[in-house]
Amino acid sequence: MSLTFSLSGQVGPCRLQAQAQLAANGVTVLFGPSGSGKSTLLRMLAGLQDCDGEIRFGDQLWQTDDATLPPWQRPLGMMFQEPTLFRHLSVRGNLDYVVKRRGAAGDLDSVVSQTRIEGLLGRSVQTLSGGEAQRVALARALLAGPELLLLDEPLSALDHGHKQELLKMISDIARQVPVIYVTHDLDELLTLSRQVWLMEQGRIVARGKAHEELARLDGPLAQRGDATALLYGELGDYDNRDHLQAVTVAQQTFWLPAAQPVAGEQPVRLRIAARDVSLCRQAPQDSSILNIHPVQVAALREVGPGQAVVQLALGDQRLLARISSRSARELEVFPGTRLYAQVKAVALG
Amino acid sequence: MMLSDGDWLALWVGVKLAVVTTLILLLVCTPLAWWLARRRLPGQALLEALLALPLVLPPSVLGFYLLIGLGPNGPGGWLAQWGGVRSLAFSFTGLVIGSLVYSLPFVLQPLKSAFAAIETRQLDMAAVSGARPMDRFFSLVIPQARHGYASAVILGIAHTLGEFGVVLMIGGSLAGETRVASVALYEHVEAGDYASAHRLAAVLLVASVLMLWALFRWQRKQQSTGVMP
Repeated sequence: MSLTFSLSGQVGPCRLQAQAQLAANGVTVLFGPSGSGKSTLLRMLAGLQDCDGEIRFGDQLWQTDDATLPPWQRPLGMMFQEPTLFRHLSVRGNLDYVVKRRGAAGDLDSVVSQTRIEGLLGRSVQTLSGGEAQRVALARALLAGPELLLLDEPLSALDHGHKQELLKMISDIARQVPVIYVTHDLDELLTLSRQVWLMEQGRIVARGKAHEELARLDGPLAQRGDATALLYGELGDYDNRDHLQAVTVAQQTFWLPAAQPVAGEQPVRLRIAARDVSLCRQAPQDSSILNIHPVQVAALREVGPGQAVVQLALGDQRLLARISSRSARELEVFPGTRLYAQVKAVALG
Repeated sequence: MMLSDGDWLALWVGVKLAVVTTLILLLVCTPLAWWLARRRLPGQALLEALLALPLVLPPSVLGFYLLIGLGPNGPGGWLAQWGGVRSLAFSFTGLVIGSLVYSLPFVLQPLKSAFAAIETRQLDMAAVSGARPMDRFFSLVIPQARHGYASAVILGIAHTLGEFGVVLMIGGSLAGETRVASVALYEHVEAGDYASAHRLAAVLLVASVLMLWALFRWQRKQQSTGVMP
């Protein structure tokens, strides 16, 4: 199923104008600062917000100039920032509400176990913790039998542990159902996304693969203080004595601390924050840093007073380094310069 | 309680009036309250002021206009002729019409507050869960507004039962037709029959206390079980 839309609308003082195409499964993160129109766009896609334009989903027309398919007829599942459970119903009642109207009753048991809410079914929704309530909300969204999931900052009110648990669930679900996920949290973008749409002031200013948008120096992501590069690699050997896992990226071996051998799907993703990367002219000897790799400068950009971010080529992948402007000048960092990148911290996932 | 047959009849007429009035008001006020609570339209403040007027207007003023309006020469007269009678004044139907006007704000206001308190997000979520507007109204709005409905029912009945000025103007105290308990009580006092007046007053007092007690008790119980705030 593919989603194609071209929409415009006025919401309060803000004008929103957006067009994009979404294909196949996986998570597409709609990323941007607060007030950039992300939630409004999602509400327009759901039919909850009036707007002009066209929305096409597969062979269904959700909106045209002269007709609109109401939200209750769009094959959607949705989550809001707040769990928004029906407060007059129990947990079970909330699930039944959707099953009765969308009729996906066969899935009830599998959805309940997938979202780990078996123990909550008899509870009143008022007694649930934030994490429990969002798991119930996720289950309810899945029970609609959605062909598209619209998730509007569903984890912003949760603590780290619950966030990770739900992010994992959402990643798994996205293998079967396309997900549009609104957030302004870079960590969620890094965890979830293959595709990202960047939104600013009511417009989608960039669309593309997450790792490319993250590394683009003229985009907003690389200019952030917490700018991070995503690299793809293959799992290598595990060093039992030092508890280090090898990951090969563009024929270079990165060593990651790991209590036991890492197993999982290939390729694995490595996150490397720009501020954890420093640059040297010569390969440093006797350094405590494990990951030192030859790189070539691809681009450089000043990102603030005295600060620069450098895009580095590692094979066909891109690494970022945030350094001072003085270092950039003294090291003579220009496109094409060959340097060594010292990577202080690498995270998997 | 040793009430006379006439007093029992007056109580019965009053209860019948209160129940009929409240039922009609619930049907009328549900869409009206929804519209007032969830929409913003020009002229709304004036309309709300007119609908709240019975709260502040002396009942006799209301009764006077109703008497004119329901009489043979008023708009109620045409309605009456259509129904085959001369006038709606001094009839049970006339009393119902008067009570509808008089008790309307007592049913409208609790419903309006209850509807205004329902979060738009809840309705949006119901919509994307597959519920059409009417379905949403019955499956979400009414259950979440049940406090408001309980208050509306109790206040509507209690207020109509306690009606006096309007009934006196347009009712005419016909036994079995328009003589309600409050008017019967007044007539006992006029006639110096304080014993009967005491008994009837006590019945009305106890009934009112019981109704309000039931309402507040129910509301407290709802809060403590946490089903709904």
